[in-house]
Amino acid sequence: MKKERSKKYRALQLLRIITQAVFFGLFLYLLFKTHFTGQDYIGRVEVFFHFDPLLAIATAIASRVLFASFILAGVTLVVTLVAGRYVCGWVCPLGSVHQFFSFVFKKAKLLKPRKEEKSAGRLAWKYYILLAVLVGSLFTVDLVGIADPLSFLYRSFATGIIPWFARAGAAFIGLLYGLKLSSAGDAAAQFFGTLSLNQTFQQGFFLSLLFLGAVLLNISKERFWCRYLCPAGALLGLFSRWNVGKVRVDMDKCIKCNLCTLHCQTQANPYPNEQWRSSECVYCYTCASICPTKAVYFPVKRTPEKIASVNLSRRRLIFTSALAVVAAPFFKITPAGKRAAAKLIRPPGALPEPKFLQKCVKCSECMKACPTNGLQPALDEAGPEGIWTPVLKPRIGYCEYYCSLCTQVCPTGAIKELTIEEKIKVKIGSAWINKDRCIPYALGLPCIVCEEHCPTSPKAIKFVMVEAKLPDGTVATQKAPVIDLDLCIGCGICETKCPVMDDPAIYCTSVGEDRSEKNRLLLELIQPATLTEEPKDPYK
Amino acid sequence: MNRRDFMKDMALGGVLMRYGPSLLAQAKSSPDLAMVTGESPAAITKEALAALGGMKRFIAKGDKVVIKPNIGWDRTPELAATTNPEVIKTLVELSFEAGAKDVTVMDNTTNQAQRCYARSGIAEAAKAAGAKVPFVNEFRLKKMALKGEWLKEWEVFTDFVEADKLINVPIAKHHSLCRLTIGMKNWLGAIGGARNQLHQKLDEGMVDLAAFFKPQLTVLDAYRILTRNGPQGGRTSDVKLQKTVVASIDPVAADMVGAGFFEIRPEELAYLGIAQKRGLGQTNLEKLTVEKRTV
Repeated sequence: MKKERSKKYRALQLLRIITQAVFFGLFLYLLFKTHFTGQDYIGRVEVFFHFDPLLAIATAIASRVLFASFILAGVTLVVTLVAGRYVCGWVCPLGSVHQFFSFVFKKAKLLKPRKEEKSAGRLAWKYYILLAVLVGSLFTVDLVGIADPLSFLYRSFATGIIPWFARAGAAFIGLLYGLKLSSAGDAAAQFFGTLSLNQTFQQGFFLSLLFLGAVLLNISKERFWCRYLCPAGALLGLFSRWNVGKVRVDMDKCIKCNLCTLHCQTQANPYPNEQWRSSECVYCYTCASICPTKAVYFPVKRTPEKIASVNLSRRRLIFTSALAVVAAPFFKITPAGKRAAAKLIRPPGALPEPKFLQKCVKCSECMKACPTNGLQPALDEAGPEGIWTPVLKPRIGYCEYYCSLCTQVCPTGAIKELTIEEKIKVKIGSAWINKDRCIPYALGLPCIVCEEHCPTSPKAIKFVMVEAKLPDGTVATQKAPVIDLDLCIGCGICETKCPVMDDPAIYCTSVGEDRSEKNRLLLELIQPATLTEEPKDPYK
Repeated sequence: MNRRDFMKDMALGGVLMRYGPSLLAQAKSSPDLAMVTGESPAAITKEALAALGGMKRFIAKGDKVVIKPNIGWDRTPELAATTNPEVIKTLVELSFEAGAKDVTVMDNTTNQAQRCYARSGIAEAAKAAGAKVPFVNEFRLKKMALKGEWLKEWEVFTDFVEADKLINVPIAKHHSLCRLTIGMKNWLGAIGGARNQLHQKLDEGMVDLAAFFKPQLTVLDAYRILTRNGPQGGRTSDVKLQKTVVASIDPVAADMVGAGFFEIRPEELAYLGIAQKRGLGQTNLEKLTVEKRTV
């Protein structure tokens, strides 16, 4: 038998690698574009998500509404139904990350492919995860964002990898200046400045570790995440049982070297024929290009044939569903649903809290877009199901008045898309003054930095002359801030800029937010203040 | 040289000795401050500089020029929170015409720099004229001795210090604490650190900064002025169309003239008095040569 590898499949494999690189590049490009680029409207930088059927189905079940943009997920489903899981093998940027690191770990001899059919049982894990996610959605617990590959990838990059890149860049720039290469330093600093990378997130380290962990799993098994964990892959697996793309081994040419099955990226078992798992194959063409005798090929066959599938035990399916049913209420054990949390300031346009939680997929797109870095991933502020959902932390950054980027990039409509004109009318909270710490009130010194920064016109922070009693018994009269709640939109810039650095003398809470009918303060404030009428000048 | 030529030269020399100095003095007595009103921000800026004796009076060939506008806020030019981009563009062009080697336009903004630079229109306008428009860069921040009466030292962006020539280009705006923010207050955008703490003695602080930076030229943009709800406004009804540009070698006088555009008595601006006392400039405009023109 003449030993020769297939040039055709080697070419297809190369094409697949190029395609993966292109889509990963596209992912990075769109992510790096997710910030203020000079335009008020930045276009559909979140479009990747809309091709994800898992997000479409899970959020549709949880919120009982299908978000219109998810119509694109139909493309993915149709491709999978017709041709198989090409999307996993050729498109998914997280799949590419895992495959790249599997390749690296193989080359580093950290990962040694072994034929281990006993790990085949693990293939079922992802189906159970998918089932748990969907059952959770049925009970309005939207956990899909934790495990969905795109959410996971975007979140990891936005809150961890990109800030790491920015810090590394800053160290590099510092080094350039240290070496007296200041023009190179200037150029690098300007480059980083243009990309708006100067963001840090309160769980950035932790979220990076999760990503690192997912990457290191590839030491154990090639594409560990894709094989065993990915619920989106599982969903596509369910849809790929009847497709026309098949893998066959020509037994006349086969020398039974087992290379194809050994190097199969997703344990789809191309050899022997009857054990090939259609639902696991991602059509990476590794088997066909590695085969020393051109025995493996990918015929297109319309007729359904008997194929092996992952063993899903009925017992376990029932057990998983039951577990999810039991677990779902646990995620609701939080007073967050009972009473609005003061510090839970959601982005402008966010749906009412229950709807918001059903739709938010924790992808961090809004946080990446936020120009002030004020949007941060929640830890426990919004209850257990609200982990990694966006919360405005005014001490870190405020809601920029003429900006509606977060509303534009939300892939699921958890944050309703707003025009700038609509956005500036949205009230997300209210500002309060702590007179015990406020410089004019407590120390009798001039300040009113909050008033200076208040972005509304007329300003929601005005000043009055107040008397402060000083320790020596004298009285100082000073301009001190007061808040006009009719005008305050809760943007938080007052809290961000307050010179009382640790615990601010002016702070924002969620009360009065437009999206809630319960979290109200004054009944007169139900109607947003009309700004059309010309108010009289408060300073004359 | 024969005797006749010698006699001629002597005579000419004598005449020059007699009348030359006064002629030179007359040529030298360009105004200290020019105030030009007109429809086009670019045209009045050009005219104001021409009235002061041209940009060559301030900029020598090969100079590194830094122009400091107010780009502090994420606002469009109609809202009069940031310096008019056409004024900046014209100044960049004039600087290059006067022989500047490079011109940099920058400011330490209050809102996100990317937004302020873009939405104010200044980055685009200045770049079109060939200026560099970098963001401030933390690595260029250096603690420096200001030797002020209140501010002894502060973190300063060295770009402003290393410039050969510095042009301050503020816009005249309402400000609750110091009443009006014009030229001297503009220097808060050239420094870093905890700027929000300067409010505790803002008048003294900004005079210290103005004394430290000492611009060669102040060009006050009063094309649109912000009459209330400053320093960022938000509605066009807060804005008054003044259609004026003031160019001055005296930073205090520039602020003094700026105050005149508002319904405010200059005595209410404490920093003007402090600056006058410190010898930074003149609040009494009658002591200066002022030229007013209309385009």
